[in-house]
Amino acid sequence: MNGWETSERVLESGGFESRQRVLVPERVVEASEAGARTLGVTYWQAVDRFTRGGVRASWTGGGGKLKLVGGATLLTFGPPELSFDDDLVSCRHAIQGGLLALRAGGAVTLAQRPEREQQELTVTVEEYLPRLAARAGSPPWTGMLYAKVQSPFHAAVSRRYFEQLVRSRAS
Amino acid sequence: MNVTVFGATGVVGRALLPLLAEHELTAVSRSPRDEPGARWVVADAATGEGVAEALADADVAYYLVHSLGSRDFAEQDRAAAETVAREAASAGVRQIVYLGGLGADGPDASAHLRSRRETGERLASAGVPVTTLRAAMIVGKGSAAFETILGLVKRLPVMVTPSWVSTPTQPIALDDVARYLAGVCGREAAFGEGYDTGGPEVMTYRQMIERIAALLGRKPTIVEVPVLTPYLSSLWLNLVTPVNASVARPLIEGLRNPTIAREERIRTLLPLELTPFDEAARMALA
Repeated sequence: MNGWETSERVLESGGFESRQRVLVPERVVEASEAGARTLGVTYWQAVDRFTRGGVRASWTGGGGKLKLVGGATLLTFGPPELSFDDDLVSCRHAIQGGLLALRAGGAVTLAQRPEREQQELTVTVEEYLPRLAARAGSPPWTGMLYAKVQSPFHAAVSRRYFEQLVRSRAS
Repeated sequence: MNVTVFGATGVVGRALLPLLAEHELTAVSRSPRDEPGARWVVADAATGEGVAEALADADVAYYLVHSLGSRDFAEQDRAAAETVAREAASAGVRQIVYLGGLGADGPDASAHLRSRRETGERLASAGVPVTTLRAAMIVGKGSAAFETILGLVKRLPVMVTPSWVSTPTQPIALDDVARYLAGVCGREAAFGEGYDTGGPEVMTYRQMIERIAALLGRKPTIVEVPVLTPYLSSLWLNLVTPVNASVARPLIEGLRNPTIAREERIRTLLPLELTPFDEAARMALA
């Protein structure tokens, strides 16, 4: 697993875009519905494992939630939108709300796509409005919790997720 | 072909035998039986008694045995699998077909799922190609996992459940598992291969409870609590369902992790039309 990159930027719309990626020598999931779904389910497992159960993924009929032990809902997601062909396998969840979202909007997408002779695995969050980030025109320190806690946490989870995907492929 | 089925009297074995009727069939049980459709022999994979005789002249051996319910089920399953693997190699068996568990490869897999995986590895240890089919909950009459859910639905109008009821799973109909098992019999493309065999729908255990309840005309209230341990859950299940705590506990531990198919190669190998969950449940309830 190499080529680790993480980046984040604020879009013109005010939403955040965050992207993490690694390169792996071969596909970790097949191009099928099961493969696309595995990308998503493994991500939520990675969150659970990274926090040692402190944040749990909870699935419902229409989507899922990330919940703190004790019950607070951090984020809620729409049902998985699965895509799969030779060029892209992906699982996208729309962000529908929760304590960490200022409002519904944006999505998290887990994807695998060919990158020359290798495969690129990505976690992309787009058009997300984090409640903890600084608002436009506000002093930067108001976004400290997002910059120093939530954003690094997300990147660390993504890294764990990639490792977990690769490990499960090898087993 | 000559086909030997270990675990022929179990839920899956019973469903499989009729589908193998075109073969010379040897059905293995631990006590004497004389039922039509197969030559019944007495053997015990755990002790090794009668195993060599059961496998004499066999081309394909099905391994549908588990020791769930025993205190040391993992050790018993390892030993039994090694015995069958060794005797199968001696007898010149060309293929062992094994039914394992979905979701068995994570570092925090339950003892039950780890044991299912180890059993598959031990079966392959003597050199006979193993075809492993991995399934989550099997929806059918007598399936321990299904009977556990059914017991809850039938007995409790209000359920206090662990948060694991929100874990996704991909239950498969008993008939579909049996058809997949029969379909790989003697198929060289499947030698040494493992296949995930998920049903047509992914759902949480909570949804499963609600759908079974709807079929029974009930509407239970489900209250999730984050602190119910597998141990407490199994004692509680022992009280309210017909499933023994020693069987329920390893199953409950397995609920923490999603049990969904990671790949669908079996659908290419055997393009069967899979049974919808409600239909499978209806058949199991009949």
